[in-house]
Amino acid sequence: MKISRSIVYLTAGSLISLLLGIIVTIIIPLQDPAALGPSPLARPYTAQELRGREIYKREGCHYCHTQQVRAPEANKGMVHQKGDIGPESVPGDYYYQSPVFWGTERQGPDLAHVASRKGIGDNEAWLRLHFNNPRATSPGSVMPSFDYLSKDEMDALIAYMLTLK
Amino acid sequence: MLSNEPGSASKRFFLSALFWLIVPGILGLTLATLLYTPTLSDSLPLAVKPYLSFGRIRPAHVNLMIFGWLSQAYAGGILFILPRITRTKLFSERLAHVNWWLWNTLLVGAAITLPLGLTQGREYAEMIWPLDWLLIANWVLLAINIWGTFARREEPKVYVSLWSFMAATIVFIGVYAVGNKVWDPSGAYTGMNDNIVNYFYVHNLFNSWFTTAGLGLALYLLPKLTDKPLYSHRLGLWGLWSVWTGQHHQLYSPAPDWLEYLTIVFSILAIVPTVAFMTNFFMTMRGRWGKAASEVPLRFFATGAIFWAITCAQGVAQSFRTFSLYVHFTNWVVGHTHLAFVADYTFWSFSLFYLMIPVLARRPMYSRKLMEWHYWLTTVGMVIFMVSLWIAGLIQGQNWLTYSVPFLETVKSMVPYFALRLFGGAMAGAGVLCFAFNIWQTVRQPAPAPITSPAIAPSAGGGE
Repeated sequence: MKISRSIVYLTAGSLISLLLGIIVTIIIPLQDPAALGPSPLARPYTAQELRGREIYKREGCHYCHTQQVRAPEANKGMVHQKGDIGPESVPGDYYYQSPVFWGTERQGPDLAHVASRKGIGDNEAWLRLHFNNPRATSPGSVMPSFDYLSKDEMDALIAYMLTLK
Repeated sequence: MLSNEPGSASKRFFLSALFWLIVPGILGLTLATLLYTPTLSDSLPLAVKPYLSFGRIRPAHVNLMIFGWLSQAYAGGILFILPRITRTKLFSERLAHVNWWLWNTLLVGAAITLPLGLTQGREYAEMIWPLDWLLIANWVLLAINIWGTFARREEPKVYVSLWSFMAATIVFIGVYAVGNKVWDPSGAYTGMNDNIVNYFYVHNLFNSWFTTAGLGLALYLLPKLTDKPLYSHRLGLWGLWSVWTGQHHQLYSPAPDWLEYLTIVFSILAIVPTVAFMTNFFMTMRGRWGKAASEVPLRFFATGAIFWAITCAQGVAQSFRTFSLYVHFTNWVVGHTHLAFVADYTFWSFSLFYLMIPVLARRPMYSRKLMEWHYWLTTVGMVIFMVSLWIAGLIQGQNWLTYSVPFLETVKSMVPYFALRLFGGAMAGAGVLCFAFNIWQTVRQPAPAPITSPAIAPSAGGGE
C-alpha cells in the first residue's frame, strides 16, 4: 500500500540523513590529525585557572567575546594596536578546553590572545580595574561591571584570562 | 488537570506559549536596554545584580523564546491540526496534558537555572543535564501523539503537514541527543569537536524542528487562510538538507577546510527547497492578496512567508566565505536570527493563534482593531529592529576589515543603532501586548456550548 511504503521511506530517509550528517560532519572531523594534539599555545589548566574558566562561562562572557582569530584577519586585526588580534587560531589551541568559547558575536574584542596585549591584557591590575569598572579603562565600553564577584572568584577569573596568550 | 475534552491540551499550550512570549520578551528588552545604556546595571543592588547581568539574561531570553514561546505555539498548533487532518480523535488528550505539565516544568527550570549561572556554556544548548532529559521526554511525548494519531487516522489520504510533523519530531530528538551529549552528565565534548558538534546541533535545531515542523504548520495555514487548495502537495523536506549545513556558522574557523566547502555546497543547494516552498506560496496566494490586505491572520502569514524567503536568501549569502568574513561576529547576525525566529516563525505562530483560538474558545476574536494594532506595531517595530542591526553589522564589518580602527571606536559607533533597535523592539513589544490582551479577553469567559460540527479539516482536502 502506498502510505505504508511512504512511511517507511519517510522514517528511513529521515534517519539515514541524520546518520549521514553525524558521520560526515561530526565523526570524520573527529579524526582530523590537526585536532589530535595540543598546539604550542595550549597547556593544561591549573585548578585556579579552571575555576576562572567556569566563572567566564557562568557569567556568559563568550556571548560577546569570541576566542577565534580567522585566517584573513590574523596578525592584522586591530583591538588597541594594529595586528594585536594575534595569530590565526588552530585546532590544537583548544585541545584542553571544554566547552570551547569560539563565540558568535563581538560586542567586545576577540580574546583568543588577550594576554599577549602588553600593559593591558597581560596586566593583572588593568584586568581587575576593567572587570570592576569597565568604563574606567575603556570609555564607551558596553560591558557590565563584575564588581559582584568575590575576591577569590575575581582572582581565578584573572588567572584564567592570563592563560589566553 | 488531565482533561479528556478534545482541544483542551491545544488550548493550554497556546495560553502558556503566550506567557512564555511575554517573559523572555521582557528579558530581550532588558538586553537591548543594557546594550544602549550599560551603566544602568551599575546602580543595581548587589543582591540582584548578578542575576540581571547581560551574560546570564541572554541565554534565558533565547532558550525561553525558542523552547517556550515558539515550540509551545508549535505544539498547540500541531495538537489542533492532528485530529482535523486525520478525521479522528487525538491519540491521547490526557498524554498531551501530561506533556504540557512537563513542558512547563522544563521552562520554569530553565527560567530559574539560567539566571543563576547554571549553564553548559554552549549556545542554544545551555540548559543543564537534567533539563536536557526533560526536554527530550517532552518531544518523545509529542511524537507519540503525532505518530499515534497517524496510526489511527480515518482519513485515507495523509495531508502533507502530517509528514512534516512526523519527520520533524524524530530527527529533532536525535539531533538534540547527539548535540547535547545527553548520555554524559558533563555534556562535554572537548576541543575543536565541541564547536563542530554544537553547530551541527544549532543549525539542525533550526532546520529539523523550527523549519520542518514550521513548514508543516504553514502548509496547513495557507489553504485554510486563503480558502483555496494548495497549489502543490509535494513536500520539500527541508530538514533532510540541513544535516549538512551547520558548519557554515564557522567559516574561516579552525575547523577543517573540506568541512567548510562541503557545508557551503549544501547551503547553496538549500535554494531548492526554498524556491519550492515559495513557488507553492505565491501560486496559492494568486487572487488572494486582497484578502491578505483586509484580514490580519493571512496578512501575518504572508508577511512571515516573505520574511522567510529573505531569511533563506541571507542564509545562502552568509554561507559564502567572503560575505561571512564581512558580517560574521557583527550585529548583522543578531538581525538575521531575529528575522528567522521572530519575523517568520513567530509571525506564522500569530496566524495559528488567530485561526485556532476562536475555534477553541468558540467565539470570535475580542477585537479586530487590536489585531490591526498588533500587526502594524509588531511588523514596523521588527523592521526597524532588523534593519538597524543589519546596517550596524555592515558598519562594524567594514571597520574591522580596515585593520586600522581601534576596536573601542567600533563599539561607540553602535550607539545610534542600539537606540533604534531598542525603539523597534519596544514597538514590537507593544504590539505583543495588544495581542496578549486580545487573546486573554477572547478566552477568559467559559466557552459556550460546542457547535455540532466544528469540522475544519483542511479545505484543501487530502494530500498525496
